[in-house]
Amino acid sequence: MNFSSEFDVWLDNMRDLMIRFGVHPLESSRTDKSSSFTVITKVLETTMEARPVQRSGSMVLSNLTRTTTSIPSNPSTGEESFTRSDNTQFISKPLGQQTYHLLSSNNNGAVGHICSSTSSGFSTNLHYSSMASHERHGSSSNDTSWCHDSPHGGFLDFPEASHVEDGGIGSAFDDIQKPNDWHEWADHLITDEDPLLSTSWNDLLLNTSSHSDSKVQIPPQAHQTVQQQPSPSVELRPVGTTSSSSNNGTGKARMRWTPELHEAFVEAVNSLGGSERATPKGVLKIMKVDGLTIYHVKSHLQKYRTARYRPEPSENGSSEKKLTPLEHITSLDLKGGIGITEALRLQMEVQKQLHEQLEIQRNLQLRIEEQGKYLQMMFEKQNSGLEKGTASTSDTSAKSDQEDKKTDDSKELVSEETRNSQEPESSQAKRTKTR
Amino acid sequence: MKFGKRIKEQIQESLPEWRDKFLRYKELKNLISSPAPAESIFVGLLNAEIEKFNAFFVEQEEDFIIHHKELQYRIQRLVEKCGDNDDVMFREEIGEIRKDIVNFHGEMVLLVNYSNINYTGLAKILKKYDKRTGGALRSPFIQKVLRQPFFKTDLVSRLVREWETTMDAMFPALTREVEGYERSAAVSSAAAGEGIFRNTVAALMTMREMRRGSSTYGAYSLPPLNLSDSDLVYGRDISLLRYLFLIDKSCSNLITREMDLS
Repeated sequence: MNFSSEFDVWLDNMRDLMIRFGVHPLESSRTDKSSSFTVITKVLETTMEARPVQRSGSMVLSNLTRTTTSIPSNPSTGEESFTRSDNTQFISKPLGQQTYHLLSSNNNGAVGHICSSTSSGFSTNLHYSSMASHERHGSSSNDTSWCHDSPHGGFLDFPEASHVEDGGIGSAFDDIQKPNDWHEWADHLITDEDPLLSTSWNDLLLNTSSHSDSKVQIPPQAHQTVQQQPSPSVELRPVGTTSSSSNNGTGKARMRWTPELHEAFVEAVNSLGGSERATPKGVLKIMKVDGLTIYHVKSHLQKYRTARYRPEPSENGSSEKKLTPLEHITSLDLKGGIGITEALRLQMEVQKQLHEQLEIQRNLQLRIEEQGKYLQMMFEKQNSGLEKGTASTSDTSAKSDQEDKKTDDSKELVSEETRNSQEPESSQAKRTKTR
Repeated sequence: MKFGKRIKEQIQESLPEWRDKFLRYKELKNLISSPAPAESIFVGLLNAEIEKFNAFFVEQEEDFIIHHKELQYRIQRLVEKCGDNDDVMFREEIGEIRKDIVNFHGEMVLLVNYSNINYTGLAKILKKYDKRTGGALRSPFIQKVLRQPFFKTDLVSRLVREWETTMDAMFPALTREVEGYERSAAVSSAAAGEGIFRNTVAALMTMREMRRGSSTYGAYSLPPLNLSDSDLVYGRDISLLRYLFLIDKSCSNLITREMDLS
């Protein structure tokens, strides 16, 4: 198919979609289509050109990898140790000591209490906020099972990692000047950790396989039970790590906030006279949530204050970034041409699409792994049963059977997901038509 | 290297603060190549990456929760103030709020995308590692990844869906509007939307490509993407449609062809 016929097909699909959405393809209101189009293509060129992001971190990283691959040719001790220390730089930083305080749920609460179909939709917005405040969830074992299932203190836990600092790998490269620390640490790691880790994987697999099975089935049940639980208390479950992995004394346990917890926070703040007047200590006292530390409250309060007094831009302040002249032109044309509301709607549509696809993909990934794990267990059981005699031949045949089954299953998943994804479309179309 | 290329593109299109939070796919891939590192080292590297994801994700999520509440509050106040009035002040404010809603929605979706692409990258890296070493690291490791905070995107997804519903009420029915007025307000506030929009489109492209079926398609691969009924976008301006169509294909190729045609 050549360009124009492909485009026509695509355009037809667009038209169909538009009609389904209740939009009639109008003639364009703009006269200077061609000029804006050239501008747009120019922007495409510049933005899609592979221009690597120049950061010191990534540059150092590429240097490191180059050194790594050159080991075979230059096995001098100097280089070797340097490389080894390079590798360990990856490891040293954010290991293990970051424990998580996991709050009650994250699970799929009620969706769509809000604004269903009325045209005078604004009154329903009020309902929305008051309804949201009535949602209280008990803790979901779905989430907390993440905390509890690691007998070795979580696979993130490397007991040898004595220096624990916040900040990701990027900052590790700033330490490239001090190889001595890395040497020690690297030796320590490699000699001690190797045997431990290779066995720990098997242990973890066996230990967690039973956990995971039950865990995977929990979500649908949690759905139903939680929605009926109006319990006001919000539980906080710290990560069940071994006692050796302490919080480093500074309470650096990371916390996972929920809307409900945040609401309790806001109430506490308001009762103390507002975000400016409230103190972390006071808020902590009022909230009375187990495991919540003053450190958590303090940082959250800081974020809250910032959000209140600079409400417009996005969290990342991206609207403050400087525009190139080209982008100015584009934004003018793009938005000016079709009207801001339409542009927003357009943007929204694309975002919705992405989200939908992401959800589908995630579910598929989950199920693929779930099945794979199950089959693996079956395989191992079979293996242990056939240890004597014809182990080799039955291995291969069993394995190929499993592979086939997996492919079949994933095909099944496709058809199922396709059916599922087609439903939202029709309900959406209905909704727009009734307006 | 297709995935590698795609993730790189997405990183480029992403918001600046996010750029160093993604999986270092290329570096890890290169690391695996010649002498594959010992499992302990490799696992250590991956753990570090995961910790990075977790930290970033949870922090963003917290920001979103706060912003979510604030936005709700703003809408509430506006409604109380203006009711269903059609006056100028109301229009301007509601325009602002709509923009914020859409951008907020976009950012949240991008966070979900962030989670997903890092997960996918990890899965691929693990597969490569196993292929290289003949080991079986992938399966148990992935099971642990599935339980990590950054993979649990339920809350963010829930908020996304809530705002989609709210949007329907916040946006008028598809009738003519006083667009001239809105046009003037558009320019200065276009920046955030543009960035998010581009990032979203880049992400969609990646997904489409990932699901196209590769040479290494196997039991653990995702099935092909079905976008036929739920296409990328709708819009009225024909040149805008062409623009998006171009994005959908490989960019540089089409640009030259299109230049010829115009």
